[in-house]
This record gives sequence, structure tokens and C-alpha cells, in this order.
Amino acid sequence: MIEKALKGNRSYWIWTLFLGALVASGLSAYYQQRWLGLTVTGMGREASWGLYTAQFTFLVGVAASAVMVTLLHQKELTKTVIIALFMAASATLMSILFAVADMGKPDRLLNIIFYTNPRSLVFWDLLFLSGYLATTLTAGWAMLGAEKKGVPPPAWVKSLLNLSIPLAVGIFFATAFLYGGLPDLSLWVTGVLALRFIASAFAAGMALLILVTLIVKKTKGLDTGKEAREKLAMVATYAGVANVLLLGVQFFTTFYGNAPLLWFSLIAGVVSVAILLIPASRKSQQWLVAACTALVLSVWVDKSAGLLIGGELFPAPLGSIVTYAPTSTEMFVVAGIWSFGSLLFTALLKVVVAVKAEHRG
Amino acid sequence: MKSRKLLWLVTFAAISLFAAFYLFSNGEAETPQKPLARVSVVDSTKCIAPKEFMRANHMQVLHGWERSVVRDGDRVHIASNGSRFQKSLGTCLGCHNNRLFCFSCHSYANVKPKCWNCHLSPMETQ
Amino acid sequence: MMNEQRREFIKKTALGVFVGLGAASGLVPAFSLEKTALPVWDEKPVPGKIRWGMLIDTRKCKEGCQQCVAACHHEHNVPAFKNRREEIRWIWKNSYKNVFPTADNAGASKEIQSRTFLSLCNHCADSPCTQICPTGATFKRWDGIVEIDYHRCIGCRFCMPACPYGSLSFNWQDPRTAIVDPVTAYPTREQGVVEKCNFCSDRLIKGLQPACVEVCPEQALVFGDLNDPASDIRVLLESNVTMQRKPELGTKPSVFYII
Repeated sequence: MIEKALKGNRSYWIWTLFLGALVASGLSAYYQQRWLGLTVTGMGREASWGLYTAQFTFLVGVAASAVMVTLLHQKELTKTVIIALFMAASATLMSILFAVADMGKPDRLLNIIFYTNPRSLVFWDLLFLSGYLATTLTAGWAMLGAEKKGVPPPAWVKSLLNLSIPLAVGIFFATAFLYGGLPDLSLWVTGVLALRFIASAFAAGMALLILVTLIVKKTKGLDTGKEAREKLAMVATYAGVANVLLLGVQFFTTFYGNAPLLWFSLIAGVVSVAILLIPASRKSQQWLVAACTALVLSVWVDKSAGLLIGGELFPAPLGSIVTYAPTSTEMFVVAGIWSFGSLLFTALLKVVVAVKAEHRG
Repeated sequence: MKSRKLLWLVTFAAISLFAAFYLFSNGEAETPQKPLARVSVVDSTKCIAPKEFMRANHMQVLHGWERSVVRDGDRVHIASNGSRFQKSLGTCLGCHNNRLFCFSCHSYANVKPKCWNCHLSPMETQ
Repeated sequence: MMNEQRREFIKKTALGVFVGLGAASGLVPAFSLEKTALPVWDEKPVPGKIRWGMLIDTRKCKEGCQQCVAACHHEHNVPAFKNRREEIRWIWKNSYKNVFPTADNAGASKEIQSRTFLSLCNHCADSPCTQICPTGATFKRWDGIVEIDYHRCIGCRFCMPACPYGSLSFNWQDPRTAIVDPVTAYPTREQGVVEKCNFCSDRLIKGLQPACVEVCPEQALVFGDLNDPASDIRVLLESNVTMQRKPELGTKPSVFYII
């Protein structure tokens, strides 16, 4: 089936080559980082985490939230399931790559398995992520294969999908409590952190899925259905409302300093939720695109800036405040990993579109 | 179908319980080991094992030494003939004090051991 | 901490080792890296029997004196990166409000608040860094020392924000370029691993006191076994009012301060 990703029109190849070029520049930046050490990033003694961890957090949430499509288990969503699974797989892969890019000694990555520390939430998080990647990718691929043959998917696919549910729940809890349990990062440690992580993940994940289905519809004419998008929009709205409320609570309870990026996040969140709450604007495609884009951006900024940088400010364990600014090397690596994930997702979507077109024709 | 869902639920619950047990229990209840008799002589005049064995297995021996010294504080190696050695790179290099001892083979075989990233290599000393 | 019998024991065995070495090689070994010497504790240690601890009498600690810092950093090949972002430190002096940020400042005099205080790894009994480490590279030893296994560390740095005392440093680049006056008796670290104070486990095994304790001209530092009621440190802990850093977090530090 994969050969279907090798046939495409001009714009498909331009897009693919563009991503490929970004992957190449990311690789060369990463090579520099491997050679010279993490000194090429903007991180340091006090700001020991930066852009990589931010992307990791964001993508983990997006990946795990895709489980909602399986969980809802509704007729309207049957056409969306495969796309959601592939989005989950791509996002999971990216999040694992970001975790590896952040490591000082990635060549020792397997030590996590050789010398397991079962008390470590980092270990559980990476374990759940690997399992989730395997289940979503395999299940999606098998469902697609069955569709190509025009037969119902094999019985074990159902078991895999069921297995992905507890794995996603595990990812949510391991990640949220991993950050929540760090004793002295005041921004992280608020009672609502775990809840907010889950709420924002569902908001951003569902919004992103809506955007993806709209792109597929526009470029390839494959429509997964207006009803499906309405269902997803509903989940995104509920999650978005919860997230904005919790973010508001955090604004009042924690010191955010002069953090313009966080204000942006809050305002974009409020606006997008408002658009989604009004039935007329939710049903209009333009407004839906605008709301979803704003929602994804709001959560992304909040994850990168809010939880990590605090709007250019990072509270260090000893109370001093240290500035963090990512370097160009860091940004190239980030762009490279994002492009790699998008490339994979594009190829998978291409196969989906081709199979569905074949089936229809 | 119902029973299968139940099965998943039970499996998930079992895994969570297992995880919770590990995470929140103090997993440090090791049984105290019986201390070995105190030794007064460390033998550094012979090799710890036959040449052929060491040629093939020195990396495993060193890795085992590193683990038991760092993790368990077990610093004395008892050879099969009963002689005792301190588990240390210095024990090896004390006898094999030809500066090229490690490098001649490793460069021939194009092997790049990571020992010298941290430990001082014989080439770096005067 | 160390009795005469032990001292005698090391002398004899160390002598034996060097005689043996000399005989085997026929000449004095040219390189003296990480010398072999029979450890004081040559038997397998009993987990939990000893718990090493330190008491810092900050009244004796002289303002401006950096001897302990210099001795520690020299002895352990700690690189001296100048910029603050990449700084690596095992022991350092810091202001009262940074060392005891959660202590009741109302009771502390101006004089106390203007002093600097030694900070180092607290070798907590309930250490968050060892709990979060995914590979167990940061681990609790049999004698209460929180040690980093540099062979195993993957450089994920989760331990750094997990430590409420900022005790861990990361090697953002190859540390060997910044070691001013390297010693051959102790290894360096490498690019990409985390490092910190090891309570001089390398010296303890030779029956020596930690470098900072030994070098302090005011004898402001006392080191000993917290599990031994007869040890100097226990006697001093019982006869003085002491405090720990951020005790409310429940990490149970093994480093105590007399203010």
C-alpha cells in the first residue's frame, strides 16, 4: 500500500520536498548538537528545559487526545478513525523524537529498558508512548488494508484499539503527574496542572484533527463528514472551556509576571471558545477553521511559553529568575522533527486518500 | 463482547495497581548481606584470568566490576584460584603498564571504547 | 570516624600493594591514574547500616574563604566554566535567602541574613532526584549517599528540576576543556551527563574525611555516621540547635546547619 504515497501531483511533491529540506537542515543542526553538546541550545543551569520539552508536552497531549475518536465510538466518526490513529502515531513519534533530542546521551537511550526504574514516571511515560505508537500505527494500517480489500477489519484490530485507550490514559497521567510532582517549579506545581494538561490536550488535539480533515477535503476531495467535524468540535469546545477556566484560575493564583505570550494564549483561547460556542459560527466552515487554528495556537503557546518559559521568564529552583532564549540550532532541530512527523503523516494520509478513492471508484 | 471489555478493564486495573505499588512503595527493602571476611592481601602480581579468556571477555569483566563497585560497593574480585584483586582499571594497568597495551589492539580492531571519556587513559599521563 | 586500627590497616595494605606493583613491573609505574589501594571497607557493605551526614557550623565559616570549594572542585576535576549558564558546581556559597528561602526570615538577624552559606547536595533520605531518574543512574547507596552512576546517565535532566536545592549540574559541553589543574587520581565526567557532590565517596573508601571537611581552616564542618549515636556528628546534633534546608518538603536532608 505504501507505494501509493509515491504517486502525487505537483503540489504534493513541492510540499514533500519542502518538508524533506527542513528535515535535512534539522539533521545537520542536530549533528552539531551531538558533536558540541547541548551547549549549542539556549538552555542552561537554571533553565534546564526549553523548546524541546515544550514540543514534547504539546505533542504528547495531541497524540493521547486522538483516543477520543475511538472512545466516542460513533457512526459519524467511522471515516475519521483512521486519520485520527495516524495523527496519534505521528504525534507520538514526534514526541519521542523530542524527548531523545533533549537527551545529553541519546546513545544510551536503551538504558531506560536495561536498567528500569519502575518508580520513575519518566520511564512509565516513555513506555506508554512506545506502546501507543505501536498500537495506533498497527491498528490504523490494518484497518486501511481491510478497507482496500473491502472486508471488515480483523478482530484483533478491535483489541488493539481497546488497548490504546488505557495507554492514552496512562500517557495523560504519567505526563501530568511527572510535571506536577517536581517540587520546586512554582509554575508547574499547581493543583490544577494535571487537569489543565488533559483539558488543553483534548482542545488542541480535536481542533487539529478538524483542521486536518478539512485540509484533506479541500486538497483531495475526501470528506469525512460534516457531522464528524461537529462531534469533534463539540469535544474541542468542552475541553476548551475547561482549559480557559483553569488557565484563568492559574492567572489569579500564580505569578506570571509580564508575560505577553500568556496573555495571547488566554485571549486566543477565549476567542476560539466563544466562536465554537455560538452555533451559527460553529457551523460555518471559515469560522470553524479560524477557531480551530486559534485554539491550537493558544495551547501551543501556553505549553511552550506558559509552562516552560513563563513568557521569557523561567523560575529557577532557588527562586532566582533566569532568561531563556532558544538558539537557531534549537529551532532548526524543532522544525526538523516537526517536518519529519508531518512528512510521515502526509505519506500516511496519501495512502488513506488513495485507498478510499479506489474503494469509491 | 461484554466479557472482552471486562477483560480489558481487569487487565488495565491490574497494570495500574502494579504501577501504583511500585511507585508508592519504598522499593528498598534489600536483605542485608553477610559481610565477607576481611582480607589483608590484595594480589596484583598475576592476571585475574587466563590470557585467552581475558582477550575475549575483558569488556564484560570490566563492565561487571564497574557495576558491582558503583552499585553494591563490592570492591574485591576473587579469582578462580582464590587470589584477590581490587576491582579497578588501575589494577589492570598497574601490571599492563605498557602505555600502548589497550591501544594497540583497539586501534587494530578499530574499536573505540568509551572508558577514556572520563577515566584518564595511559596515553594521557606523562 | 576512623579508628587507629583502620589507619594502621590501610598503611600496611597500601604498602603491600605498591611493593607488589613495583615487583611486577620491575620499575615504578609511570602513570599513577586512580591508584589501586585496598579499600578500608573491603567487604561488601551492609545496606542501611551507615548513613553519612554533615553538620556545618556556619558561625565558624569565614566570609570570603573559598578553601573547601577550591579543594573539592580540584580533587574531583570539576570544570570551571565561567558563564553562569554552563556553570558546574559541587559545593558553593550562597546567600541566606537562597539557601533557606522558606525559613522564617523574621527571626533571622541582619547579620545572619548578610552572611553566605555553604550549599551542596543534601544526600536526602527521601530524595526526589533518585525517584525521577528513569534509569536509576542517580541512586541511593547503601550508606545513604546519593550517587550518580556516570556510566548509566542518559542526560535527560529530569533530576535537575526535581532537586529543590539546585544541587545538580549538567555537562552542556565536554568538561575536559575547562578543568584548570587536572588531578589523575579521580576521573572526569563527559559531555552530556549530570554531576554533583558525591560526599567524597572516593575518599571515604580510603578512610579519609571529605575534602571540604579536611581542608576547612576553622573546622566548621563535621562529617560522620548519623546512625551511630556515639559519632561526633550525633553528639553535636544533640547538643545544638540545627536546621536543614527546606525541611517542609519532607526530603530528609543529611546536611545540617548551625546558624
